[in-house]
Amino acid sequence: MDKIELKNTLPEVFALRDDIRSDIWHQEVTFERGHLYLVEAESGTGKSSLCSYIIGYRDDYQGIICFDGKNIRHNKVQDWVELRKRSLSMLFQELRLFPELTAYENVAIKNNLTGFKKKKQIEAWFGALGIGDKMHEKVGRMSFGQQQRVAMMRALVQPFDFLLADEPVSHLDDENGRVMGEIMMEEARAQGAGVIVTSIGKHIGLDYEKTFKL
Amino acid sequence: MSLVWKLLRQHISLPQFAGFFFANLLGMLIVLLGVQFYYDVLPVFTQGDGFIKKDYLIVSKRISMVGSFGGRSNSFSPADIDEIRNQKFCRSVGAFTSSHYEVGASMGAEGMGYMSTEMFFESVPDRFVDTDRDGWHFDPSADRTVPIILPRSYLAIYNFGFAQSRSLPKLSEGVIGMVDLAIHLRGNGHEEIMKGRVIGFSNRLNTILVPESFMEWSNRTFAPEADTAPTRLIVEVDNPTDDAIARFLQEKGYETDSDKLDAGRTTYFLKVVSGVMLCVGLLISALSFYILMLSIYLLVQKNTTKLENLLLIGYSPWRVGMPYQALTVGMNLLVLMLALGFLSLLRGFYIDTISVLFPQMEDAGMWPALALGIVLCLLVSVLNVCAIHAKVLAIWKHKG
Repeated sequence: MDKIELKNTLPEVFALRDDIRSDIWHQEVTFERGHLYLVEAESGTGKSSLCSYIIGYRDDYQGIICFDGKNIRHNKVQDWVELRKRSLSMLFQELRLFPELTAYENVAIKNNLTGFKKKKQIEAWFGALGIGDKMHEKVGRMSFGQQQRVAMMRALVQPFDFLLADEPVSHLDDENGRVMGEIMMEEARAQGAGVIVTSIGKHIGLDYEKTFKL
Repeated sequence: MSLVWKLLRQHISLPQFAGFFFANLLGMLIVLLGVQFYYDVLPVFTQGDGFIKKDYLIVSKRISMVGSFGGRSNSFSPADIDEIRNQKFCRSVGAFTSSHYEVGASMGAEGMGYMSTEMFFESVPDRFVDTDRDGWHFDPSADRTVPIILPRSYLAIYNFGFAQSRSLPKLSEGVIGMVDLAIHLRGNGHEEIMKGRVIGFSNRLNTILVPESFMEWSNRTFAPEADTAPTRLIVEVDNPTDDAIARFLQEKGYETDSDKLDAGRTTYFLKVVSGVMLCVGLLISALSFYILMLSIYLLVQKNTTKLENLLLIGYSPWRVGMPYQALTVGMNLLVLMLALGFLSLLRGFYIDTISVLFPQMEDAGMWPALALGIVLCLLVSVLNVCAIHAKVLAIWKHKG
């Protein structure tokens, strides 16, 4: 997948508002593969909605969203399954980890599906992100910041054309945020993927090519 | 162990699944027992001769004292036969043809002395006889051996009456089948001696039955002039327990071999009992199925977030539903196997009794129960799998 296009897209809940001033809603916007975007938003402007629409979790919007010119409203269940496995990866703001599993198992459950990374690579990431000793700890017992790093690793163990990172560093200190940004961009560059980072304040210091105000 | 299973087995309620398991086992066992019992016991009532098609009646006119002395014929006219043929319950009618010449039979074997008797033959159309049976044919130009079916009661009379009183050896069906009878046919100035061979015994036909082709040939040869109006008819009916048959026979003053009707009634009763058993079993099975579906729905409900997260990270609905589907299908299979095991135990108790009482009955095995069990198990499993998939899809669409 090379392009994500939003054509006059607007969450249905905003349909009655006439004070929409946004670089995304009600605009023609294109995200291209191989580029790095930042979507800055204030609370309640539909940032999570945007991510949900693109990942196919919700479709309560007006207008059109296209992947490579194809309206995603017509996607079947199987299309989404394939997209989520091979083209679209997402780091959820609410993380969506499984607290009953260990940190490593949370990453492995995705890697088992895609078979994309070796165990060694995953262990190296755990070390680099400073949670090497927590690998076999239940995720439910880890802090939110530590969980964020686990979620990031899970987002990276699959092939993708676009990576959506919904507030990836909200609970990380600068150093860990920087390391995470590096790992993320290294992986994205290796895959030639596009990256869309959202933020409501604190964001990873990266060389964004374009910034949108939601 | 698969991580998905590790995740999704959370909240599995053992008591609920045990409840389902035992209820289903009980239901399945009752269903299978009903069917198996029906098939095991049915032959006791319908035990055939194997020679004659199942649902038939033999009809004759009542012989009254007035008729006997008044010389009134007790044979059926073509109009009588047509009338029976036009009845709703009747599928087809065939006439008994009697021999109209003298028949004598003699039998001798070493050490048994020599027996000789006057007798007669009758035949029915071959379509009423299971003609696949080896040896039930006669070709006048080639054969000199006549196949014969005897009433089983004749053998009983010989064994328990005649042989007993004369200290003669008792004969089994197999031995009789091996002995050649000498048949003397006389009439119309001809005389012939042929061989007769008993190929079987019948509980239902109180006559000495020979093939239709033999009867035609012999009547033509030895009694060409004789009147061949039948005195007995064989009637194939849809359902021997039909009231209409009894009413019709009563009205016309015909008689029939009533034991068939009795057997029909007993069979009907057996069907009712088995049917009730089957219904109760199916009801229990249906309820246990309902329990299982409820538990699974509850389980899916409790694990909704996990299922949704799995779907969002790229697992397909089939893959996500699979642990639950495998669980239910596995339980269904286990229930089937246990039910069949218990069934074979239970069956052991009554099959012995049956085989002691009716030694000639063949054991048909557990095929009916096995077949039904597999069908039921498949059906329930398919329903389970579909229901679980539908439930996962509902989560996908946020309707779970």
